[in-house]
Amino acid sequence: MSSDLHTLSGAYALDALTPEERALFATHLGDCPACREEVRELQEVAARMGADEPIAPTPELKARILAAADRQPQLPPKVTTLERDRRHRRTAWIGGAAAAVVLLLAGAFTVVRLQQPDGTPVASSPVAQVFKAPDAHTATVRTANGGRLRVATSTARGQMAVSTTGLPRLTGHSYQMWTIRNGRATSAGVIADVSTGKVLRLPADGTTVAITIEPPGGSDQPTQKPIVAMDPATV
Amino acid sequence: MSEPGLRLVPAQGPSDVDLLLGRVARGDSAAFESLYDQLAGAVFGLARRVVRDPARAEDVTQEVFLEVWRKAPRFDRSLGKAQTWVMTITHRRAVDAVRRNESQKRQDDRLPPERISHDEPADSVIHAEEKGAVRECLDTLTDLQLESVRLAYFNGYTYAEVATLLDKPLPTIKTRMRDGLIRLRDCLEGHR
Repeated sequence: MSSDLHTLSGAYALDALTPEERALFATHLGDCPACREEVRELQEVAARMGADEPIAPTPELKARILAAADRQPQLPPKVTTLERDRRHRRTAWIGGAAAAVVLLLAGAFTVVRLQQPDGTPVASSPVAQVFKAPDAHTATVRTANGGRLRVATSTARGQMAVSTTGLPRLTGHSYQMWTIRNGRATSAGVIADVSTGKVLRLPADGTTVAITIEPPGGSDQPTQKPIVAMDPATV
Repeated sequence: MSEPGLRLVPAQGPSDVDLLLGRVARGDSAAFESLYDQLAGAVFGLARRVVRDPARAEDVTQEVFLEVWRKAPRFDRSLGKAQTWVMTITHRRAVDAVRRNESQKRQDDRLPPERISHDEPADSVIHAEEKGAVRECLDTLTDLQLESVRLAYFNGYTYAEVATLLDKPLPTIKTRMRDGLIRLRDCLEGHR
């Protein structure tokens, strides 16, 4: 990590980075165990500062939250640890993506959820079917190339969809999707129509889904750092 | 980051909150209620300081606890403390709420002093010591470190916005945020 990026650990722990810088820094964290340790410590300091002036909320809020939790299923636990998987990594960035997921598990999101549903999928496409599933979880994430990607997962349909209408159009290159498991990237295909998106089978737990920019028609293995990497289970 | 392996870290067993989160991970609703009782004040307190508006702070608090409930089975204690995890989620969501709503002008005045109620947690003695420690340690920061950390953390500004507000170069603010937090960390460790 360059010394310039290195000094962003404080701003990162204070959530004082823009989404783009945040994604960049999170990628670099994947390659720097010492930086991860520093961030973990600084986040602990920030958390103590944040917990320093408690204010009791109303009893009504407690009742509301307990009732809402009662209606919410929990995510299943991870059965493999990504740290162990890193031994098998093929390329440096995959290790980075895996480490980013480890951070995701620690609650430090590398993706930024956005309220604005721009990039909403075209009404009747297969992509939209996943977004409209009654059990769909959706999120909007910023990509490193300045776009917004909408993601939906539906356990009932066993599908995951990305809506790519908010991604910058490419000329002479393609967006390619990957599933990364045990440090191994498998192509999930090129996104043929950026004006809609792509539907995948819902990946198994512990799989990272990433998008890279590749030569037209795609590559056998990723040749670039991903513009976005996410854990579908956290959508 | 210099010799991360060489600093002595006090051996600590799991805290109450860590143990509770472990039970929450197994779907224990009673543990979730206890966890709420332990942390709701801290979560709501931070949410109010950042988003200001009590109704929105309640919404943030609800989002935080539902996320904690949903993701508890995936929490890995080897990566940090449960309370840190919850407060990190709280801060992220509070800051998102503030930045999302940029049309709504943030007021520069601090949280009004009329706090409705101020519940002391059960372990109020320990908590009072903790409060004292954080405040004492904040006092050890330079003015620029303190302002940089506070504006980012409690007002939800990016470091570039902080640099503009304080009329300082970006690299200076980045560095002050980092060395300010490091100084706080070292000071808090001395208080254990």
